[in-house]
Formats: sequence, structure tokens, C-alpha cells
Amino acid sequence: MGLLTKARVKSPWLLHFCSSSCNGCDIEILACLTPYYDVERFGILHMGNPKHADILLVTGPANRRNYKVLQNLYAQMPDPKVVVAVGTCACTGGVFHNCYNIMGGIDKVIPVDVYVPGCAARPEAIIDGVVLALKKLRGELEE
Amino acid sequence: MRLDWLVAWLVLLPIVAGLLSLSVYRSTLRKALVLGTAAILAFMAVLLAAVTLGKGSPQGLDTAPWLSTLINWLDFALVAYFLYVGFRWRHYLVAGLAALQGVLLSLLEFWQLPHGLTVHPTFLLDPLASIMVLVISVIGSLICVYALDYMPEHEAHLHLERTRQPLFFCFLVGFLGVMNGLVMANNLLWLFFFWEMTTLCCYELIRHDRTEEAQASALRALWMNLIGGVACVLAMFLIYRTLGTLSLVAVVQEASLGGALLLPLAFLSLTAFTKAAQVPFQSWLLGAMVAPTPVSALLHSSTMVKAGVYLVLRLAPALFGTVLSSALAVFGAFVYLAASLLAISQTVSKRVLALSTVANLGLIIACAGINTDLALAAALVILIFHALSKGLLFMTVGIYEQQLGSRDIEVMEGLVNRSPVAAVVGIVGMLSMAFVPFGAVLGKWASLEAAATSTSAWFPLVAAFIAVGSAASLVFWVKWLGRLLSTVPLREEEKLEKRKGVYAYGTVLGLTGLLLVASVLVGGLVRELVLPAVTALGYQPQVAANWSGWGSPYGFFTVWPVFLVAGAALLLPLLTFRARREDYRPVYLCGENLAVEEAAFRGIGDQPVPLETGGLYLSASWGEARLNPWINLLGLMLLLVILLVAGVGA
Amino acid sequence: MNGTNGLLVLAVLIGVPLLGGFLRGVDRKLTARLQGRIGPPIWQPFYDFLKLMGKKTLISSRATLAWACGYLALTLLATVLFFLGQDLLAVVLILGFGGACLALGAYSVRSPYAHLGANRELLQMFAYEPVLLLTAVAIFLKTGSFQVASVFRQEGALIHSLWPTFLAVLAALTIKMRKSPFDIAASEHAHQELVRGVYTEYSGKSLALIELAHWYELVLLLGLVFLFWARPWWAGLLLAVFSFFLEILIDNILARLRWRTMLYFTWVEGMGLALANIVYLNLIRGLL
Repeated sequence: MGLLTKARVKSPWLLHFCSSSCNGCDIEILACLTPYYDVERFGILHMGNPKHADILLVTGPANRRNYKVLQNLYAQMPDPKVVVAVGTCACTGGVFHNCYNIMGGIDKVIPVDVYVPGCAARPEAIIDGVVLALKKLRGELEE
Repeated sequence: MRLDWLVAWLVLLPIVAGLLSLSVYRSTLRKALVLGTAAILAFMAVLLAAVTLGKGSPQGLDTAPWLSTLINWLDFALVAYFLYVGFRWRHYLVAGLAALQGVLLSLLEFWQLPHGLTVHPTFLLDPLASIMVLVISVIGSLICVYALDYMPEHEAHLHLERTRQPLFFCFLVGFLGVMNGLVMANNLLWLFFFWEMTTLCCYELIRHDRTEEAQASALRALWMNLIGGVACVLAMFLIYRTLGTLSLVAVVQEASLGGALLLPLAFLSLTAFTKAAQVPFQSWLLGAMVAPTPVSALLHSSTMVKAGVYLVLRLAPALFGTVLSSALAVFGAFVYLAASLLAISQTVSKRVLALSTVANLGLIIACAGINTDLALAAALVILIFHALSKGLLFMTVGIYEQQLGSRDIEVMEGLVNRSPVAAVVGIVGMLSMAFVPFGAVLGKWASLEAAATSTSAWFPLVAAFIAVGSAASLVFWVKWLGRLLSTVPLREEEKLEKRKGVYAYGTVLGLTGLLLVASVLVGGLVRELVLPAVTALGYQPQVAANWSGWGSPYGFFTVWPVFLVAGAALLLPLLTFRARREDYRPVYLCGENLAVEEAAFRGIGDQPVPLETGGLYLSASWGEARLNPWINLLGLMLLLVILLVAGVGA
Repeated sequence: MNGTNGLLVLAVLIGVPLLGGFLRGVDRKLTARLQGRIGPPIWQPFYDFLKLMGKKTLISSRATLAWACGYLALTLLATVLFFLGQDLLAVVLILGFGGACLALGAYSVRSPYAHLGANRELLQMFAYEPVLLLTAVAIFLKTGSFQVASVFRQEGALIHSLWPTFLAVLAALTIKMRKSPFDIAASEHAHQELVRGVYTEYSGKSLALIELAHWYELVLLLGLVFLFWARPWWAGLLLAVFSFFLEILIDNILARLRWRTMLYFTWVEGMGLALANIVYLNLIRGLL
């Protein structure tokens, strides 16, 4: 593993986007930052800015009102980047499936690398999902 | 060439050319006239510098006695004209001051001075005068050439029936000769005449557009400058009573008389402050910004207001070690701080430039007050580079103004895309006013070091004023730079530089080149030009200067590494890094952007809302309304203290 | 430039960022420990830097990259000049130019968050620049020269007579190290209400260069602190380490304040102390 790859794996900065989720998963994501889980151990920082982020965490299903926002944020993240769909809704649409304003899982809108199911996804599962995403950065995970 | 011929050319050529231009209504002829005058004048100035620097010692020059008599009568003619102006516009302050001046002048000429008084020498040519002549004749000439492009455009907006350019160029070009005379004059009566002539030029040029606002501003400039004139006559009274002569050089040499000369020196300082628009007189310079921009560039930044600081520098050796000197230092530093703070809240570009001019002139006066060799060198460096940078900035702002139809800084947003050449020139100009290693800021650096090395008990105050003022100037320059730079990615802007006037762009680019070369070679400039002037004033300079930089025994600034590093870091990425279209991303707007090149975001109902940004003006904290009363009060009090200190000393 | 100086420049160019990055790592670790977390490895800042260097370049303005380079280059130059023992006032002014480059880069694209951050960066400079300038003057009064090298020719420590100025420097240091309560330009701890303030439109390589510049700046500022107790050298080192830890502690126990409070505090407390110190020293100098 080259130095650059190692650096990428060791320093994943997150961007968290709530796409019409019920906020259940969002709270679990924030739980990961608390001293109890402390994801900064792995060099993970929570960024507010797509231009600085490596990993996009999306909660909630894609909806017609704001899917453009999601696409926009995704486009603003410089490569290499990874997308993690957090929670059942983000994976498939979940309980919102077939609502008039819902398009389905976020993979309808942007390419997704890792799916973390759960309602809400537990912090351990989210951390696992991010670690899986890091494998993609490492080049070990092919689509 | 003989010196007397040289002086005659420098003074009379512009005046004659100005009078000639009164009858020139064809633009080609006017261009030939101005270009020819400018070229000859610049050449003569360089020649004069070479001669005076070569000779080593100051050269005196006498004139025929009938010339002095003529000058005396012209003085009265001027007073009469000012009196007429006062009554014509029912401005009784102007009339009153003119009348007072007339009475005092008659008393001086007919009662106190013996008939046929000769002052030896009439003109004094030393390195300080040469520096001033260089600034006036080189930068001033460039500004006159620039006006050849500016004025037709300016008049096109005014919809005049008959062009007023002949009158304009008469005063603009003629002013150069007057100014040259002023800085070379040694006979105080001559100095006074030239001084009043610059007041006249100033008045006529400010009111040039004949609007109500212009007339009001011109009258304000007039009465404030007339106060200076009155103070000058009073000073002459006292000087003649003490010394029995009216020679400027004698005043400086007889400084050992001490007390008795303090009061006239204070009056002369007051004269200087009015001309240099120091607080509390700064309002005339701000009002003068209504004048066409070449006037602001020539009179109100690079030359005429410099007459004030020139006089203070000339008198500095006489003040050495006196309380008055310390008072001047505190006053100048205070003006630097006050004007810099005031400039933060200004949205009109020319007013920012005007206040920055007031600030820098204040700093020069503070240097004269600090009164060490390093301080004097710093003052001259600021003087030279301020003239270069500010002349350049005014001319550039004039170009923006005609392209945008506005002087507002906010309207200049993203000018680097719309008007690239002029914007880059402006950016260079502003950087040169705000940052090391450019000359103007090197002067500030040296002034702070000089303040620290002076032994005055007041120096901590001076240093603190300079430090805060320096930070304030950083704020308003960077804010303005930010406005010019602020662009929208990939947007095809409408280009404003459809017609690049050869005179306007030529002079602006030429001056930029001159500024850059002078900035890089500042050490050489100090060694070859500034130090001889400081020595000729009677200081033993310990200032060290070589081609790599300059400094004192206390600290040295090597200029080239900074230029090299900053230049390479800022230019190389721009030259080598090419971005493809697909590498561009819009700015961060919470993901609600429209297309990259559209500065808008989706609002309610997906309606596009234009994205607007604005500069940092902090008018709630540093607004004029809030600061002005305090600043004027403090300025006035300091002025009174200066006069009081001098009066008690006498 | 002779051989020793060349070696020194080389040591500064390579050694200072290593030291600065390490200190940033200590900073993050310590902050985490203060918050009851384990925190990232000490080497985390280097990973971050390398990662950012390896990101694909996406830009919104070419000028942004140029100004980032300017910020790095001028900060680097100031650091080199400082360690070569050059004029302290010149170092402060060059550092000021560098800081302005950071704001100008943020200004060079029409972005509300970046502009807001840049405006606040300017206010920060407005607050600390006079303090640093007066510090140089105060040090001059004690050593008789503006050259940094002269401090080492001085008998005894500056801090005995310059302790008020030292306190003023600590206030400026809080701003310069981008610590609470004065991290108003960028909200360093990912508080996010400014997005990333002045850094919003920098990304990838330009952000990496800025991070590198921060490392140089940190060491330069600690070097300035060191000057206050340069003889014996270990006392200065202790003083620098103490100041560094103090800033981290302040960072963790205080919330961010408004810019008015920052200006008021740095001017009244910071400049007031420095000025009082200068007045006192000047009086002493007059008496001697």
C-alpha cells in the first residue's frame, strides 16, 4: 500500500447529507462523533463542506424536491470519493417507498458504494459501513 | 545647460504651454502641445536631478529685481481675484479671509519690508527640490497625457455645447510650472506667490464641471487654503522681525535662535497642514473628489498636497530637538490613524483614495516630526512611492469610472473578468499601497523603526498610532482588492475594455512599470536620491542602502527575496496551471446552485435568486457620522496645542 | 549567503513543517483527551496533508490557487527570515502580506461563505497586527536592535521586563493559532455554521498548501514566544511549550466570541499592556 493510499485511508473526511430522512439515522451519525464512539480515532472528521470531503453519508430516500441538491453536493466533492447510504430509506426508500414525492433509494440519483441498512442504522453499523468504504479507497473493493 | 535656463524652462514652459492651450480648440493640436510639454518637462527634471546631485552642494539662483516686484503685484492681483470670488458666490468666509490676507500683505509689503528688499537666493536647487521636481514633472506630465483621453470622454457625458478643455488644460499644465516654482523657491515671498497660485489652480479645477456640488466643494477648498495663506503671511511677518530676511534657507540655518522662530515655524506648519488636507481640514480634499479624475490624480494626490509635506520636510532641520517637533510627530501619526479608520467605511473609491492620501501625508509629517535621519529618509521614500502608487490608482479609478459609469467600489465587483488590463493595474497599485516590499509600506516600516529609535517621550503614542493605522489601511485595501477579484466561475462577462485609449492605457501601464522598477530598486533609489537629500538637509545619515535593500543600524530590509518569492508564488500558478472546463465547480451554496456560471441559487418554488455579496464597510463602528466629530475635535485640539507650544516657547 | 546560513535555510524548510505538523497532531490528540476521547494518532496532520495533495483538482477560480501559493510562500519566507535572525518588524509585515493572501484567495470567487470568512479574517488581522508590530517595538527597546539575532546577544531574559508585552502576544497567539474564543474566520472545530469560512472555496492541493503554511506559522509564532526567554534556551523552549498548552486549554474551555469582543480584547488588553510596557521602558531609557 502506497503512502498516498495509506493517507487516504487514514484521513477520511465526511460530509453528511440528510435527504428527507426522519432524522433517526442522523442522530446515530452524530452519536459516532461522541466520546463513546469517537470516530476521530480513525482520522475521521465531520466536514460541512463538500469541497473538503472524501466520504458522503446520505440518510433518507431521494425525493423530487431536493435530489438536485444531492447531485450538486456529490459533484462538488473532488475524486477520489465514496458514497455511503445510511439506513433503509437511503438504501431503498424504506417506509417512504412509493410515496408520491419519493424517487426511491439514493442510488437512483447518485452512484452508491456502500449500503448500510437498519432503521435506524446503529452507530456500529455506520462505522462498519465507513470502514468498508475505506476499502474502496484502498482499491480492494471492486464495485 | 546653465541652471538659470533649466529653472526657467521648468517653471515657464508649462505656464506658457498652459496659456497657449487656452486658444487651442483642435484636439490634435492640443495633443501635440501636451505631449511635447510633457516630454520636455520630464527630460528637464531628470537633467536638474543629475545637475544638483552631481554638484553635491545646494545651488542658489538669483533673479532680476523687477521680477520680484512683478511677483508682489501678482500677489495682490490674486488676492483681488479671491475677493471677487468671495463676493461673486456670496461666500463671505472666502471674502473675509481674502480681505484679511490683502490687509496683512499690504502691511507686510508697504510697512514692514524695506523698499526693494532682495532676498538671496531666489531659488535654491538641492536634492530635495530635485526629488519634488522629478515627482511633479515626470508623474505630473504622465497624468496630463492621461487627461488627453479622459477629458473628451468626460465631456461626452456632460453634453456641452462648447468644449471647456482649453481652460482645463490651461490650469492642469500650467499648474506643473507653478508647482515646480514652489518647490525650488527660497524667497518666502516667491514661495507665497506660488503657494497662492496652486490654491487658484485647485479652486478652478475643482469647479471645472460648473455643477452646484463642484462649486461648493471648490469654495470649501478655497477658504481652507486661504487660512493657510493667512498663516503664511503671519509667518513671514514674524520671520522678518526676527531674522531681517525672508530666505527659507536662513530660517533653517538660524534655527539655533530657537524660541523666537518657533511661532513662525508653527504658522508655516499650519499653512502646510491646510494644503496637505490634514485633520481637521480633510473635508476639502474629500469634497475635491468631484473634480475630473486627472485633477484628483495630479493635484490631490501626487503633487499639490505634497507641497504641504514638502514645506514641513524643508523646515524639519529647524525643528530638530524642539517640542514642536514632537508635537508634529504626534499630530501626523494621529492623522494617519484617523484617516485610515475613516477610509474603512467609505464606499466611494475616490474618497478611499483621498483618505489614504491624507493618511500617508500625515505619516510623512509624523516622520518629519520624529526628525532623525532614518525618519527623513522614510518620509522621502513614502513621498516618492505614494506619488507613484496614488497617481496610478487615481488614473486607474478614472478608467473604471468611465467604463462602469460609477465610482462605487461595490460596482467594481469582478472587474478582473470584465476589464482585465485595468483591473490588474489597479491590483498592482493597491498591493503597492498595502504591502511590503513595495516602497510606500517600506516607508511605513522605516517610520516605525525611526519612531522607536527617537528619544522623545511621546514616541510610544506615535508608534501605537502608526501600528493601528497600518492595520486599518490593510483592512480597506484588502476589502477593495477583494471586490475587484470576486468573480463567477466560467461566466462570460461583457468586456468593458472595448476601446483602450492609447494615452490612458499607455500612461497607466507606463506608470505601473515605473512603480515596479522603482520598487525593486528601492535600495538604489534611497542611496542615490534620498540620502543625498537627507544629507543636504543637514543630517548625518546612518541609513544603509544598497541595491538589495535599505535600512538603518537597527534593522535592514532586503527587498529582492520578497519580490522573488511573492512574484513567483502568485504568477507561476497562473501561468502554468491550466484548468479544463470540466474542472470547474460552482461555489458552495448548500447544493442549491444553478449552473456553474450562473451566480444564483434556487429559492422558494425553485425560482432562481441572484447571489449577491458585498464588501466589509463596518459603518456602524467606523462610519463617518460616528467618527468625524471626535476626529475633528481631536485634530483641532492637537493643532491648538502645536500653536500653544510654539507660542509658549517663543 | 554563506554555508551555515544555507544549511539553516534548508533545516527551516524541512524541519519546521515536520515540527509544525507534529505540534498540530499533539494539539488534536490533547484536545481529544480533554474532551474524554482517544483522538487521532499524532501523525494525523501528515495523513491529512498527503491525502489533500492527492485529491483531484476541482476549482471555482484559478486565482484561488495562486493566492494559496502566495500565502504559503510568504509565510515560509517570514519563517526563514525569522530563523536567520533578520528584522523582526519586516517579518511581521511579510507575515501580514501572507495573511492577506489567504483572505484574497477567498475573495477571488463570489461565494458568500468564503467572503464572510475573509471579512472576518481581515478583522482578525485588524486585531492582532498592531499587537505584533508593538511587540517588535518593545523588543527593540530592550535589545537596541530590530534584528532577531540581537535577542541572543542580550544578557538575561526579555520576559523580566517585557512580561506585559508577553501577555499581549498570548492574546495575538490565540487569534493566529485560530483558537477559540477568536477562531471567528473559519470555525476550526468543524462547527460548520460558516461552512469553513475563509477556507470554503479552497480544496485539494490549495487546502493542503494552506495547512502547510499553518505549520510554518505555528512554529514562527512559538519562535516569537521563545524570544522572550531566549537565554537560557531551555527556558524559552519551556515558555513556548507552556504557551502552546495554554492556548489548547483556552481553546477547549471557551466558546467563540463575537468580533467586537475580539477587537476590544486585543486592543484594550493586548495593545494596552504592550503600550504601557513601551511607555515604561521609554521612561526608564530616558532616565538612564
